[in-house]
Amino acid sequence: MTAFISGISVVCFAASYLVALVCEASRPLFRSGVRGATLLAFAAAGFVAHTLFLGWRAATEPAVPLSSAFDWYLLAAWVLAGGYVWLMLANPRTQVGLFLLPVVLGLIGAAELSSRAPFPQSPATQVWGAVHGSFNLAASVAVAGGAVAGLMWLIQAARLAGKRAPAQGLRLPSLELLAATVSRAAHFAAWTAAAGFFSGLVLNAVNRRRGLLETVPWDDPVVLRMGALVAWLVVAAGLGRALVTRPDGARRAAWLSLVSFVVLTASILWGVLGPTRHGVPPVPTPSASSTTQLQEAAP
Amino acid sequence: MTLAFVGGTHRTVPLQVRERLAFSAEQAAEALRRFRDRFPGREAVLLSTCNRVELYAAGEEAATPPPAEQLVSFLAECRGIDAAELAPLLARESDEAVVRHLFSVASGLDSMVLGEPQIVAQVKQAWALAQRTETTGPLTGGMFQAALRTAKRVASETAIGRERLSIPSVAVSDFARGVFETFADKRVLVIGAGKMAHETLRYLREAGATDIVVVNRTADRADRLAARLGGRPGRFADLAAELTAADLVVSTTGAGEPVVTAGLFARAEAGRAGRPLVVLDLAVPRDFEATIAGRPGVWLYTIDDLGAACDANRKRRQRELPAAVGIVDLHHRSTAPVIARLRAGWTETGDAELERLFRRLPGLDAAAQAEIRQAFERYAAKMLHSPLTSLRNESHSGPPHGLLDALKRLFDLKD
Repeated sequence: MTAFISGISVVCFAASYLVALVCEASRPLFRSGVRGATLLAFAAAGFVAHTLFLGWRAATEPAVPLSSAFDWYLLAAWVLAGGYVWLMLANPRTQVGLFLLPVVLGLIGAAELSSRAPFPQSPATQVWGAVHGSFNLAASVAVAGGAVAGLMWLIQAARLAGKRAPAQGLRLPSLELLAATVSRAAHFAAWTAAAGFFSGLVLNAVNRRRGLLETVPWDDPVVLRMGALVAWLVVAAGLGRALVTRPDGARRAAWLSLVSFVVLTASILWGVLGPTRHGVPPVPTPSASSTTQLQEAAP
Repeated sequence: MTLAFVGGTHRTVPLQVRERLAFSAEQAAEALRRFRDRFPGREAVLLSTCNRVELYAAGEEAATPPPAEQLVSFLAECRGIDAAELAPLLARESDEAVVRHLFSVASGLDSMVLGEPQIVAQVKQAWALAQRTETTGPLTGGMFQAALRTAKRVASETAIGRERLSIPSVAVSDFARGVFETFADKRVLVIGAGKMAHETLRYLREAGATDIVVVNRTADRADRLAARLGGRPGRFADLAAELTAADLVVSTTGAGEPVVTAGLFARAEAGRAGRPLVVLDLAVPRDFEATIAGRPGVWLYTIDDLGAACDANRKRRQRELPAAVGIVDLHHRSTAPVIARLRAGWTETGDAELERLFRRLPGLDAAAQAEIRQAFERYAAKMLHSPLTSLRNESHSGPPHGLLDALKRLFDLKD
């Protein structure tokens, strides 16, 4: 059993999600009596493999469980994939996967491009690190979920405005449900991103006070981009709330959710490709090393 | 012949005759009991809906099904109709054509509205009634179960029964449901007393709508209409306020000018706080001024919009027809009665052996050959008697799938 679990790779569950996505994409093209079961089987198999993979990494990595950028993206993908499987079971005729699975696969792709080395963390700041990472994860998932709902709102609205009956195999949730999802996701994303950002500031302040090497400069690009992201998400949530009472408020909120997703994606790409000290293992200089050791040893 | 059928549908039997020919459930049960007494050993299922009355009969060996003319007379007698009047109106089929016809009927391919789903339930009810009156057997059992399986496949693998065809159903299910997740907390405003309002409200109530307000130019009429539609009356003078409070409007007045002008709607819109509004303008001429359709948050559908969607759905159903017919044909080929194939297998084998025997014994005269042939046939009938009796007994309590499968495997009966 151990050999089986340790043999699971990213390709296993990514391929399962890809097959599920192909099945979803084929829904409007032709009808099939076995596609629903095939789709669910591959999505569920991918999710189980994904879970086992993360569980194996959490159990076997010597550092804090799931504390690398690689793990972080895979966790975000795992939450969205779990949501997709749940939606498939709850409402199999609604075609959410066509919109959600590309995001899941995109996050898996981002994971593959990211470092598997754990974020440097001293025992003293592990809790703050976990809080920071968890809030950022929740915010990212909420932004992605909100954008998926927003995109579906726009497609559904275009169909209703064009006075067309639902296309074969493309049955979307109602505008009412999608608008509510967009609004809740925007608020949740703003709160959790803000909490993630401020917990990151606290984490960095603690690191700085203790003179730890993983301290990130206050003007590091990651601080700036996360600050900008949080500011945008708070503004977007506020705008969304203000627009609720306008006749075209739902449409604008849907567009805002897509913009939030673009901002998040740009922020992630910047994090993956751009220069930063965030999450980079410290390279101790002789003087810094001795200072750190003294600080760590201090009562 | 092992299967026989007589029946008439909306295509062949005028409404006046169909009304007299139709069987209630009690009358159908009585007719089947009468069939059992008159034609002992034969199987029968009677399907009676508002669009068709069909009698399926089956039998084998000495108890072959009654000839079609007897079945026509039987139906006429049961309903007190002159058989001579009925005979030219009813269709007749035998053996495999009966199976194919039943598959088409159960799949909705023979219905007045192509693909309508109610027929499956009606076929099931007819089969259940025949089971209760003990007129079923292995032949009708296998045939009806296969027909229901075919109908299930047609429903799941084609869109023939999925697209809605009536304007109220399209308005509610394809459009209003696209905007609202639930109707339980929505205000429905009915303007006018057009015929389609009643039908549309039926769909809305089925979808959960309970808060219904009816306004009409005449207050008395609004009261009566509200009572009839299960809503409460509103004042026509308060139409702007009612529009402000409404989430969905069904408008069916007979007015010659728009009842809701752009100005009136602008007053109503100011207090709506951005809530979406679905308008089903089912009136001709239209009740809502055309420019209102362009207002943000307004989803306005006229009778022409809904009619076009219905037409598109109808075309989609038609496009699914070849696929549905393909499934019916496939099932038909694969489920031709097992017993017929079993009997044919024995007969063919016996005939081949007889030919070989007669070639080896050229001195046999015709009488001797006939005697030997009859002996072979009696032997085959006796050998088949026990398994067929078991099948018949077993099928009274449901389709004998296990036995049929066993027979197929034991006697290598190919589908």
